[in-house]
Amino acid sequence: MNVLNLKHDRRSAWIAFAVLGIMLAALPFLVDAGLGQSWVRILDFTLLYVMLALGLNIVVGYAGLLDLGYIAFYAVGAYLYALLASPHFGLHLPFWALLPLGALVAGLFGVMLGAPTLRLRGDYLAIVTLGFGEIIRIFLTNLNAPINITNGPQGVNMIDPISIGSFSFNQTHRVLDISIPGVYNYYYLFLALAILIIFISLRLQDSRIGRAWVAIREDEVAAEAMGINTRNVKLLAFAMGASFGGISGGLFAGFQGFISPESFNLMESVMILCMIVLGGMGNIPGVILGAVLLTVFPEALRYIGEFEQYALGRIVVDPADLRMLIFGIALIAIMIYRPAGLVPSKRRRSELVSGPDVLAQEQASFYDTHK
Amino acid sequence: MKPPLLVAKNVSKHFGGLAALSEASFTINPGEIFGLIGPNGAGKTTLFNVLTGLYTPTSGNVLLNGQPLLGLKPHDVVRLGLARTFQNIRLFANMTALENVMVGRHARTRAGILGAIFRGSGTRAEEADIAQRAHALLDLVGIAGHAHAFAQHLSYGDQRRLEIARALATDPKLLALDEPAAGMNPSERAGLQQLLEKLRDMGLTLLLIEHDVKLVMGLCNRVAVLDYGKKIAEGVPDDVKRDPLVIEAYLGGPLS
Repeated sequence: MNVLNLKHDRRSAWIAFAVLGIMLAALPFLVDAGLGQSWVRILDFTLLYVMLALGLNIVVGYAGLLDLGYIAFYAVGAYLYALLASPHFGLHLPFWALLPLGALVAGLFGVMLGAPTLRLRGDYLAIVTLGFGEIIRIFLTNLNAPINITNGPQGVNMIDPISIGSFSFNQTHRVLDISIPGVYNYYYLFLALAILIIFISLRLQDSRIGRAWVAIREDEVAAEAMGINTRNVKLLAFAMGASFGGISGGLFAGFQGFISPESFNLMESVMILCMIVLGGMGNIPGVILGAVLLTVFPEALRYIGEFEQYALGRIVVDPADLRMLIFGIALIAIMIYRPAGLVPSKRRRSELVSGPDVLAQEQASFYDTHK
Repeated sequence: MKPPLLVAKNVSKHFGGLAALSEASFTINPGEIFGLIGPNGAGKTTLFNVLTGLYTPTSGNVLLNGQPLLGLKPHDVVRLGLARTFQNIRLFANMTALENVMVGRHARTRAGILGAIFRGSGTRAEEADIAQRAHALLDLVGIAGHAHAFAQHLSYGDQRRLEIARALATDPKLLALDEPAAGMNPSERAGLQQLLEKLRDMGLTLLLIEHDVKLVMGLCNRVAVLDYGKKIAEGVPDDVKRDPLVIEAYLGGPLS
């Protein structure tokens, strides 16, 4: 009976996965038909932010190390790709080599940030990481003299589009008489890599290292007293999180074709942090939802001007201001009504919300002296 | 007779001008429950933190099974076989009881990032072993029924038991308990005493730091007494109880 049930659950899980897969595969076509191709581009960016948010989730959500400079690793990945695959240095390394290299170099930068901040926690760590993010951005802005490395504030352009072998992601391809434009190709590539990163995050969550990260988040002294080498395990968290950022950075550079230091400002770090806090820190479905909402919602709010014109007959408040106002109010409302995030992990819920069952249990154990 | 498990020689720890510990020496033999008592501020917890690597002593030497402990990081001390619990419970509050004990296996297992991602047969076997050992330890300390409850939702007595299970998961040779009976009611205390005796009968050596003289005298094979950072007595409980220095430390000196 039990075995049958299990089989049944398996089968329904497979069906659910298949439906989800078909929906994700059809999504760019549906979005294009309904909203236009610019929204497929937004979809691509959404996937990049999903990867970034999952990377930051390892550092902040699992290991509890508040990192406000996370965008620096995105920048490292993006610049590595841009400098090694553009006319700037005349180098054109292939994508399959650049992607792992980006992950590796970003991971090293993660360790570089991690090593001097090992003793810091909470607010202090946040300040230092914020500084680190700014240092990277300012370096990128100023490393055009005496030797021109990053091309300064003008940024790097004409970056090679991503291609594998002779398949260029930038061009429209025809498959079975359906034409698939470049933005679609990138969508499928980013989707594949996002799924890979989700898979890695899931595996890490439920492992010896994942438990060690959570233990450090909960109580560093106790974790050390349990034989966890907190220094190495924290550096590992920084490196893993940073490498996800490096991968998405490389993808961003190849997709965009142009990058400049201005894409990697503090606001971006804050947005990614918002995604995981709002979605549900430490919980993968929550983080994905947070990334999707915070990428799509601000874009959707761009239509607020048209709506205002339609509803009131004229523009009363500048749409750009209104957009940020509504966005801010929405964030505040979510944090008031769902302090642990939209889809919190069981752990976070236990930490931030004491339900009636908890209270009942506490009372029971308080009066229970006949153990 | 077997060689002693732990030897502390002339251990001193100064905080600025304050000598929290001066020249404390004692030995712990394998298979015994060794009690360390003393009035408030006698230096018990300082000594404890020196042994477990949290503090570096000003001078002195500590050997566990012949290997020097001083200068090692806490996680290395655990690897050598000295596990501890905390006076003010330090569990991983938002992890389940089972996960808490599984963390304790960290020092004795190996899987890294790649093992976690690819989850080969070696990693799977190791994970299964960790979970199985953790369940067995929860059972040993008598809280198997709460395996999937968050640590912070356990009753106070059960949290103390969980800390012991978590420390046992590191396969210690010497288990050091920092005031395990603090804040317990009499029935919880009796249960704790039974548990510690059970652990001794399984061959474990215990170092017990305690405030509660009655518990220590009833449980320990040998006892050392600290006062103002100095060891003033060491021996079997009956002798120590009658030692005039000990009586003076606890009750004050004779009226002059």
